[in-house]
Amino acid sequence: MRLLLALLIAMPLAAQPSRIASDFEIAQMKDQLARSRDFVSQLSARLNLGDAYATRNEPSTARQEYAEASRIASAERIAARRIGDLTRYSTATSYAALAQAKLGRAESAFTLLEEATRYSADSAKSWNLYSSAMTLLRQPAKASSAARNAVAIATREVEATPSVANRLDLTIYQYSLASSLGDTAEAERLLRAATTSLRLRAFDDVRREAGRAESFEIYSTARGDSAAYLSILNRAGLRLASLLETRGEIARARDEYERVLETRTDDATALAALARLSDGDERERRFAEAFDANPFSMALVRDYQKYVAQTPPAVDGDSTGARVRGAIAQMEHGESRAARTTLDALIAEFPNNETLRTLRREAEGSAGVPEFLSGAADVIPTSASQRDLGDLLQLLAGDKLTSQQRTRLDELQFSGTAVFTTSVAGENQTTLESGTIEGVRFRFSEPTMFRGVFAASTPLRLAYRVLGATEVNGADALLLEPLGVEVSR
Amino acid sequence: MSFLLAALLVVSVTGDRTALINSYANEVRITSGNTSRVVKTAETPVDARFAGSDLFVIARDARRLERFDRNGGRAGIDLAADPAFIREAGGFLYVYSRLDGIIQEIDPERFTIRRRAALGPFASDFETDGKNGYLLFPRAAKLISFPLRTLKEERSTPAGAVPVDMTIVRRGSALSAATIAIADPAARRIWKVEGLQSVSGAFARGFVRGLLGLGLFAPRNTDFPTGIDRVESRGDVTVAFDSSSGTLYRLRGTKISIIATGIDGFALSEGAILITERGAVRRLQTQKTER
Repeated sequence: MRLLLALLIAMPLAAQPSRIASDFEIAQMKDQLARSRDFVSQLSARLNLGDAYATRNEPSTARQEYAEASRIASAERIAARRIGDLTRYSTATSYAALAQAKLGRAESAFTLLEEATRYSADSAKSWNLYSSAMTLLRQPAKASSAARNAVAIATREVEATPSVANRLDLTIYQYSLASSLGDTAEAERLLRAATTSLRLRAFDDVRREAGRAESFEIYSTARGDSAAYLSILNRAGLRLASLLETRGEIARARDEYERVLETRTDDATALAALARLSDGDERERRFAEAFDANPFSMALVRDYQKYVAQTPPAVDGDSTGARVRGAIAQMEHGESRAARTTLDALIAEFPNNETLRTLRREAEGSAGVPEFLSGAADVIPTSASQRDLGDLLQLLAGDKLTSQQRTRLDELQFSGTAVFTTSVAGENQTTLESGTIEGVRFRFSEPTMFRGVFAASTPLRLAYRVLGATEVNGADALLLEPLGVEVSR
Repeated sequence: MSFLLAALLVVSVTGDRTALINSYANEVRITSGNTSRVVKTAETPVDARFAGSDLFVIARDARRLERFDRNGGRAGIDLAADPAFIREAGGFLYVYSRLDGIIQEIDPERFTIRRRAALGPFASDFETDGKNGYLLFPRAAKLISFPLRTLKEERSTPAGAVPVDMTIVRRGSALSAATIAIADPAARRIWKVEGLQSVSGAFARGFVRGLLGLGLFAPRNTDFPTGIDRVESRGDVTVAFDSSSGTLYRLRGTKISIIATGIDGFALSEGAILITERGAVRRLQTQKTER
């Protein structure tokens, strides 16, 4: 069992476009849990399941899996210690530490790692687990020191026995070391060496084996040479690309992300990065592909929010990714009621997903209560600002007004600058229905005829009461009762 | 199994100062009498020794030896990869680094490295009896002995199944070589073996013992109900510790008794056993424990 995890990054799998990439991996791991009862199978399945759920932003489910991994490893170390099998004890202790690190329990993870290395200071695998746990706990100096030990020991092993398995292990440890070194020249050198060596002829057999088995899975805790090979090739490529992107070497970063896609066409991390780094139509397409691979990456959501704030998106399809994109687009364009409906349906399907819950909270808004709703009864405002009206609309749309605030609102009359979308003029009279008031969408409960001639798209003075919230072309809007219109002075 | 943070407690030879090491937080609490102060160290302090008025700390992941003096001064020198143990003998400090099996001899006054030698990687413990050094190798289950004068291996002895810790139970004399107790959790046993002795020392010992009619010395081993993985001795007090259950045993000859359970760690001081529990230190008088 080899550990490749250094940072949690998305690990999607090839799958049908409408399917979330990690669905397949989750199914594989659940099948492994059901079929194989041995320690390694049970532990690796739990760790991989936890990581899969973590990348989908389902932290409570991920923690359950990590806690179960911790329980399995603890039981194993107790059993091994009881019979005096200290190699087995050391391995189980290292994995118990990793599970604790994934649960964020730094001190217990550290104590267990120290305990493990007392018995296995000569084991590159133990030091690699140490390094991975410390990287998870954001202890780069401890992580890099441990990784250097792993690399030094594995280098000796390759020199003594240059087998494919030993070379693969060394590459994994070099990747761990690079992951702990951050954005440094040494990290880049290690990652370049790793990605280059993995494409050499020395790995032809393992590549062929992966091809014959049609393997494509990427795991944090990989079993067997072909799974380890595919996983480390993917992870090292992504890490190198990310490092180049951070440095602003965009063209080279794009090349590396594209190389990752050559072996994994639906890699969510690579697709999200390419969406971030692309322009025009390609950007929309990459976003669509990235959302289909992993609809719940919060980083991807934030990137997409920035994108749709500037560019009208073209969302079509009914995949989960398309629906999440649709909800984000609705939110960005003020259609929070529609966004809430979309998100509520998604939450019903993915009840433990934190990304959806975060978006749902954002769709609720965090409107403040306008001062005029809590003001003294004898103070009658004559106007309301754009911000106040915007907050009022969110409160009304979310049905968040108290009965006292509602009563107060019914008492109030306002006057403000309105711009009507359309006007139908008759003989010294005009029918008006909807537009914006201080920049906030509104409409009347029905088309209303006013004395005088008023043009559309022209600022007018509108006296009104606020009746509630409604929709205009799918977007939230104030429902107003008109009291009078006049030309703005 | 205990998941509390292991805290290593180091006591000065005179027993008037202690250093409580927090390896994760990179700090050491130095206590002298009623005063204590916390010093930050380089990455991952794992062992320390008082020498003169200074404290010397190994920062494993920085590969540094740091010196802290009474006035708050701090200095450091580089060590070999994966330094793990520091011991004092004959006025010098000796650091063993696991990755390449390097022993480095350090002059604490000048704070310089005097000599270095490679004696085999990945030992699980390093001790000295004042004249000789001992390295314990769990994978090979052997004890390597070497004179500090030469820093060259002189003897390799089989040492149980998986030996992980050792202590000098008794220093050598004209009648006997040093006695070393070795903790072996796989065998649940403390093995006792003899330390190194010079040819003239061994001859004199045989002659004197024969003259007195004592015969040859044969150290006796001690068995435990659980897998003890630490052993320490000071004066006539020897304790063994099972870190997986936090059980501390007292040894008297081949007999054992439990003196604490569920603790994080321990250290021996003059007339007392110091116990660490949840980062705090508790003192057990050895006289009391002997009743």
